Amino acid sequence: MRNLIAFFKRFQVFLFFALLQIAAFSLYFSTMSFPRSQYLTTASIVSGNILSVRNEVNKLFSLAAENRKLQEQNVLLRKQLPLTYVQLDRRLYQINDTVHLQRFEYLPATIINSTFDKRNNYFTLDIGKKQGVEQGMGVFSDKGVIGIVHASSTHFSVVKSVLTQDINMDVMVKETGAFGLLKWNASTPRKGQITGISNDTKVRKWQEVVTRGGSGIFPRGLSVGKICEIGTVEGKPLWAIDILFAEDYRKVQGVYVVKNLMSEELKAIEGKIPDDPDDE
Amino acid sequence: MIEIVRHSGRFVLFVLAQTLIFNQLEIGYGIQFMVYPLFILLLPIELNIFVSMLIAFLLGFSVDMLSNTYGLHASSAVLVAYLKPYFFSMFEPRDSYEPEVEPNFHTMEFRWILYVHGVLLALHHLWFFTIEIFKFNEILYILQKTLISLPCSFLLCILIQLVFVKKASTR
Repeated sequence: MRNLIAFFKRFQVFLFFALLQIAAFSLYFSTMSFPRSQYLTTASIVSGNILSVRNEVNKLFSLAAENRKLQEQNVLLRKQLPLTYVQLDRRLYQINDTVHLQRFEYLPATIINSTFDKRNNYFTLDIGKKQGVEQGMGVFSDKGVIGIVHASSTHFSVVKSVLTQDINMDVMVKETGAFGLLKWNASTPRKGQITGISNDTKVRKWQEVVTRGGSGIFPRGLSVGKICEIGTVEGKPLWAIDILFAEDYRKVQGVYVVKNLMSEELKAIEGKIPDDPDDE
Repeated sequence: MIEIVRHSGRFVLFVLAQTLIFNQLEIGYGIQFMVYPLFILLLPIELNIFVSMLIAFLLGFSVDMLSNTYGLHASSAVLVAYLKPYFFSMFEPRDSYEPEVEPNFHTMEFRWILYVHGVLLALHHLWFFTIEIFKFNEILYILQKTLISLPCSFLLCILIQLVFVKKASTR
């Protein structure tokens, strides 16, 4: 017993150090896994508010660019209005409600905090549960995909961006339909990688890569980027493809959150796929 | 008493400067400015190591909360506070530290700053990037990030001391 006390006395500084390290590490690892504690992230009220104030200031710097972007989008939308077209055929603008059913809803949001030079990068949005954001919803901007909602509190939410190690998003090459998983190797925030496209399919540089819409998080066909480099994986019949992201994640501010109105139905029907007995 | 107020003020300023300014500076190449360890290095020498480790933990934790890193900064800050006394005694000047004088850029030689602040900052950066990436096969990436971020942070720490720490900084 005396030895034990002597031991503690001798190493008390180191033990205290170890204790604090364990506290920090448990914080780190418990928040790395999925249901993160809400109080320690920028989704919490206090730091969320500080960050919104900071963002108000930051917004001013890019006001001109944002305005121009909005104008461009307005022009695009205006072009789609029936008013800008001469009506040639009466049936062209008939809307048939039994054919078109709304499947996705979009919530506009602003990114108020983001990083892009870490191994795993998270973005904080200024909307939360109150506006209808739930875990697992997709997020995209007018140029391309951003990520998937990782956690949401009452007024803020945290997005796991494309710039994380295990984003594993379902993507496909638009022209050929060859599909794979999107990854990020952290070398530069401008480029991502696609794995899982077998090397007997033809891919060419600058072909467009879009979302596949497989898990119902994103609509099919949202832009992700363009193929910029094609290599081979040693020992595997697969292409190693690098893509240039369509969105510049260092500058993005205005985004949309996707709400899939039919996700329940999709899950229910996909749940009916029988498990492969060989897997067990 | 005035010392406590001064260091509390510094605590807040360092957290805000780190999260609102230096975390926002993105100049590419994976460079990350980290200046908050300077706060720990400027804490009084005679402060109990337990207290300084606890303060370091709180400092890192505050930075974590505002930058979504959950515990990374806290862990690295505690490391700096833990190793600080060893390095301070290892590089102690011949006539020991003057009592009541803060060992900063004005009161110490540049060699001392280079050894003590430089090495502690280097260990801090290495520790931070190691647990952030946490993969041994990416060890070159870790070293690369450490080696290019370190000079930037070190220069910034010196600049901060030159500009914001008063010359006759006795208490």
